[in-house]
Amino acid sequence: MKTFEARHWTFLGLLVVVAGAMILNIKLDMRVSPYTQRLYDCIDSLPDGSVLIVSFDHEASSLPEIRPIAQSVLRHTFKKGHKLIGVSLLAEGTLIGYRLMQETAREYGRVYGVDYVYLGFRPQYIAAILAMGESIGTTYPLDYLGRPYGQFELTRSVKNYDDVAAVLSIADGSLTTHWIEYGQARYGVRVLGAVTAAMVTTYDPYLSSGQMYAMMGGLRGAAEYEKLLAVSGGGARGMLAQSSAHLYIILLIALGNILYFASRKKGRGA
Amino acid sequence: MGRKLPLFICFIFGLVMFAQYFSAHPTARALNQAILDYWQIVFAFTLIVGVFSYLKNNMTEMSRNKDTVYRAVGLLGFLSMPVFALIWGIKADTPFMWTFENVQAPMQSTVFALLAFFVASASFRGFRARSFPAAVLLISALLMLLSRSNIGGFFSDGLPQVADWIRNYPSMAARRAILIGIGLGSLTTSLRVIVGIERTWLGGDK
Repeated sequence: MKTFEARHWTFLGLLVVVAGAMILNIKLDMRVSPYTQRLYDCIDSLPDGSVLIVSFDHEASSLPEIRPIAQSVLRHTFKKGHKLIGVSLLAEGTLIGYRLMQETAREYGRVYGVDYVYLGFRPQYIAAILAMGESIGTTYPLDYLGRPYGQFELTRSVKNYDDVAAVLSIADGSLTTHWIEYGQARYGVRVLGAVTAAMVTTYDPYLSSGQMYAMMGGLRGAAEYEKLLAVSGGGARGMLAQSSAHLYIILLIALGNILYFASRKKGRGA
Repeated sequence: MGRKLPLFICFIFGLVMFAQYFSAHPTARALNQAILDYWQIVFAFTLIVGVFSYLKNNMTEMSRNKDTVYRAVGLLGFLSMPVFALIWGIKADTPFMWTFENVQAPMQSTVFALLAFFVASASFRGFRARSFPAAVLLISALLMLLSRSNIGGFFSDGLPQVADWIRNYPSMAARRAILIGIGLGSLTTSLRVIVGIERTWLGGDK
């Protein structure tokens, strides 16, 4: 039988740390960052009944992180009574987005066609973003379930970005960049982002320049948003596991460096 | 002539798309909408090419008895999803939705989650302060890790602020420089393609 090597122990350690944190399920209090606060304030300050496009620009692989992020913002928009038009620029995000919108709308008793409509996927994201700037109804003649765009009370009054308060891109990659470069730069639509932690620094320059109006990132952002909404969700639940994993990695880095400097000292002494 | 025609089409469309960007005239908007519609249709056809390429490649390799089981599983998934969608639709509680939520999404999340184990292993074995730049990188990474978790404030309230400073100044300056570089590169490459200097997209430079 093959013996355990150092890396196997590190794998096992991570498993124990994350599983332990999930089982303990302790809620940690946290400071709300100015980034998350800005997104919250932006959605909160929109007049009730404002129309937002929510774009599910992510894949299935990031679902554990994306779900709490999306749920927290969707809860806020539905709670405020905003009207949502759901789209997806990645095929894999289509089903997830549909499911998330349905679930969250049901929580707040929102009605399909009146409070929200889901249009689904369009190939070639740049062309889709630009085409929606001209006419959403022409880009999406039918909704996700095959009903005509003009059939719904909500979509009848929405021609293009001029009738939309903001676009919220829920992303795990660089697709939000295209909303900024084509939606914001070309048509002047306000772009908001709800992105995975790994993508936060990618959007910092756009946030700083004002091309992206507000953004929240990662599980931490979702947990902060849940705190602002005073609801319990996956963000806060996942934070303990993520924080424990981060602490474990910090300890591993420290241990690795201690062993490295000890071996160097030993080498010089010999 | 074989090359001149695509070059001419590329030049005309490049010029038209560039010019209409600065015009709000209804004709320019209508033209823009028509070209964008065709763009999506052309892209949809490239997906068909991808589908046939995947099928052909796997069938050929299976006929050579190469990774037959894995390829059969791949093809089963590849063919079953459209069949489910065509027969039962894509609404909630259909086989398509069930397979997506209970097979595809968990499998992809699992593969993605494996990254955490590699990061843990690499942080122990490779993340060493071997030099001054490596030490700076190490400290920055530690600060960012702490700030993105809930334990940063436990050590000091100022710690997340230091991490935010790194994010807002050195990190953003570097990223902005890269973005401006990419933008200028894209601009020059686009111009070279439109005027026909850059011809590698035609399959050669002659």
